[in-house]
Amino acid sequence: MSSAELTDAPRRSFTGRRVRLGDFLLQVVAGAAALAATALVLLITYKVVEGAQLSLGTYGLGFVTRVAWNPVAGHELYGAASFLFGTAITSLLALALAGPLAIGIALFLTELAPRTLRAPVTALVETLAAIPSVVIGLWGILVLGPQLRLHIEPWLHSGLGFIPLFGTPSAAGASIFTAVIVLAIMILPIVSSITRELFLGVPRDLKEGALALGTTRWEMVRGVVFPYARGGIAAALILGLGRAIGEAIAVTQVIGGGVFIHWSLFSGGDTLASKIAAQYQGATSNLQESSLIYLGLILLVFSLVTNLTAQWIVRRVARRQGVGIARA
Amino acid sequence: MSTPDFTSSGLRRRRAVNRLMELLAWACAAIAVGILGIVVFSVARRGAGAFNLDLLTKTPVPFALGPVKQGLANAFVGTIVIVGFAALMALPIGILVALYLIEFARPAVRNVVTLALDVLNGIPAIVIGIFVFGLFVVGRGQSGFAGAFALGCLMLPLVARSTMEVLVLVPTSLREASLGLGVPRWRTTLSIVLPQTIGGIVTGATLGVARVAGETAPLLFTSSIVGTQVSWNPSHALQTVPVAIFELSESPDPADHTRAWAAATVLLLFILFASLGARWLATRSRRKLEAAR
Amino acid sequence: MPNFGRFIRSTAVAALAGLVAAIAVSAAGAASARRADTTITGAGSTFVAPLIAQWVPAIANAHGYELQYSPIGSGGGIASITARDVDFGASDAPLSPDQFTACKGCVQIPWALAATSVFYNLPGVKNLLHMDGPTLAKIFLGQITKWSDPAIAKLNPGVNLPDTPITIAHRSDNSGTTYNFTDYLSSASAAWKSQLGVGVAVNWPVGSGGKGSSGVAAIVSQTPGAIGYADVAYALQNHLKYFAIKNRSGKFTVPALRNILAAALLDTSPAADGSLSIVNPPKAKKYALAYPISTYTYVIVPMQTAKARDLKIFISWAVTHGQSYGPKLIFQPLPLPVVKFDEKSIAKIHS
Repeated sequence: MSSAELTDAPRRSFTGRRVRLGDFLLQVVAGAAALAATALVLLITYKVVEGAQLSLGTYGLGFVTRVAWNPVAGHELYGAASFLFGTAITSLLALALAGPLAIGIALFLTELAPRTLRAPVTALVETLAAIPSVVIGLWGILVLGPQLRLHIEPWLHSGLGFIPLFGTPSAAGASIFTAVIVLAIMILPIVSSITRELFLGVPRDLKEGALALGTTRWEMVRGVVFPYARGGIAAALILGLGRAIGEAIAVTQVIGGGVFIHWSLFSGGDTLASKIAAQYQGATSNLQESSLIYLGLILLVFSLVTNLTAQWIVRRVARRQGVGIARA
Repeated sequence: MSTPDFTSSGLRRRRAVNRLMELLAWACAAIAVGILGIVVFSVARRGAGAFNLDLLTKTPVPFALGPVKQGLANAFVGTIVIVGFAALMALPIGILVALYLIEFARPAVRNVVTLALDVLNGIPAIVIGIFVFGLFVVGRGQSGFAGAFALGCLMLPLVARSTMEVLVLVPTSLREASLGLGVPRWRTTLSIVLPQTIGGIVTGATLGVARVAGETAPLLFTSSIVGTQVSWNPSHALQTVPVAIFELSESPDPADHTRAWAAATVLLLFILFASLGARWLATRSRRKLEAAR
Repeated sequence: MPNFGRFIRSTAVAALAGLVAAIAVSAAGAASARRADTTITGAGSTFVAPLIAQWVPAIANAHGYELQYSPIGSGGGIASITARDVDFGASDAPLSPDQFTACKGCVQIPWALAATSVFYNLPGVKNLLHMDGPTLAKIFLGQITKWSDPAIAKLNPGVNLPDTPITIAHRSDNSGTTYNFTDYLSSASAAWKSQLGVGVAVNWPVGSGGKGSSGVAAIVSQTPGAIGYADVAYALQNHLKYFAIKNRSGKFTVPALRNILAAALLDTSPAADGSLSIVNPPKAKKYALAYPISTYTYVIVPMQTAKARDLKIFISWAVTHGQSYGPKLIFQPLPLPVVKFDEKSIAKIHS
């Protein structure tokens, strides 16, 4: 309820014009700020489309399906397909790793943790969210990468090498696999904190009712908590996915780079975001620069879609249940 | 959900499944704590050993032919300047947006602007970098101001949302009392309502600063062509700590790595301090407001 | 309460004033990013960055200039100077006619001469392994995958080569060093020329990408079995082993000063646009010692610029006094005909 509704009754102004001017001014200035904030989103979209125009005009939608990135003068050809693949595989795998883990943590914090552990562990998980991506990337290059290269990847390759996903271990430690682990670490806190708030919002009487019927705690979770929070969990997962899709810095530090699509997780590659970060500074031709912005446009579309989908789910769930979902 | 099985063997099985799930949940928490511990411990161990005052007082000497004392003074100063200007840009606008949405806006307008803020929050930082590059850097060159503007765009939704959350908590009785006494609307808002929300505003500002202090991607486009000298002037590009860490992380020189760890430790400490401080403030101000209701 | 209100009002006024001030300063600042008169900014090639790093303190002493250089790759240098984001750009790849047009009246001046070394990380194996162009091309094409391959063994009889797989490190950004390296590979291998060609970035079929010459050196020094390419100063500074490469005269030469000088004999008069090509000199007595992957590197400045006076002093100093800082980093001082050409080009710069 806006406080505007409080003052519908005609006002007796003690000081006449000054009062109305002050009110008017505040409303105008604040309104201008709100307008500016909204316009900003539109301006961003406009600027990105404008920058991508040359490449859009040259390639149209064929850009999205082409596997190519050749800046050699005279043979220039660009396409986004390999980076779409890279984005898809890294983000989806990261979500597959982090999603269940995050739900497990949220369950732990809401149902199982002794009171003394609850606050510290929550704070710990939120702290993980605060670590800047460049620091995680630094850790990825110098600590995680070598560990994966020396121990984990050879082990996976020797055991599961018959699956094309686990090809020859990367010699440099920079690979799609490293990027997946790094992304999973980065989206874990977001998904878990949203899910935790969701689980906290499940009405107690529903839970206690199930327990009173003699269910075990797990059965109660499966039968009451999950169905109740189903929409919110979906929104949390989608938000996590959106975060993973947009991450540029940590990914470009550990992913190794590459233009072609390889099935092995241990090969190098690039995502939309990491390609932009790697090549933007040195684009030699207007077409290359515009193509990189075209990649940014695709990225913007993806992030808008995931964000709006998550918003829509949240609002639909909130309307149905009358529960607000606080964002991380 | 089918009726639970109450036979003794069924009960045993159900209890076993329950136990397994509880163990899994404990395991998830342990993994999360473990990961955080490993990352923070890695950074701290390598960074603490490397930390010395030179990091903050000396400037970098690239391609030094012999051992020479160097540090990242220009990066720390640049971060302070750029993040400071970003806060200066985002704070007033964020507060004004929140004020408008809670005090003046019709529900329809509020939904649209809130949606815009949420969308803005979800735009990847690198796309913001491309945007500000096209807006301010093309033709004019990089500058600390362009970098600050980019970081300000990232801060704005956080500040606005945080302020909105506390504005909503201010009891309407307070507003009613003030208006009933004849205080004009604008004065009510600025002198009565807003002071109640200082805690939330500071929280939002601190969280915003904590978030953007570590952002690298937008600065790559707006403030990355830099020299090694310390400068407080944001009209040209300034080196920043995240960009410095990014560049050092890809260097072959182990001494560069050491400096990167040390800088990362300082950055991490600052961000952790700010985040935890902000959350403590938030809980405290929320408790105060709720007690006043 | 009244005191509180006054406090809040003054805070609000102060904040508003601060906002207005910030916006005003911001608009003025972003619109006219002016730097101190004695600061010269540049960006580009990582190849020449070690030499420029030596120039920074030297020119501060000689002329009081503060030189700010950002090694973002030759591609970045060309882009930056085209957009006039910096005072000068540095590139090892000469500008194409299209890039000259886009740069709107720029002049390209060769200001340093050095070589691209091909380095490797093989613990326990000696430095200066022998290598030749066709084999190198096959390695970077992904056709030779192990160090023990017979093609490599044939070039190095008697050396115990391990069975380690070869990891390629190449540049992920647009690089003049890549241009130089692929120029050589195209000249030495018809297969390379037809499949990948010459460029500041090519469609590398295999390998990891590193950002900048440092990035490539980083990958190689951290990965046993890796092979990469960058200016020889990077190999030396990071204690990396590099190849002795067979030139067309049949000799295995290293990237050292006299070998670079021999290669420079191939082209001593720059073309009208300032470029020189000294890659893979043909078989002849005077090129017997030539290292085949040598290259000039260029500074690119607009012919008309507000900083004309300072830039002319700086570049003149660089091509004369600045060259003395080169030898310890294996930058061969410019031959006299090139210096003479440079002086004529520098004279074209005006305000």
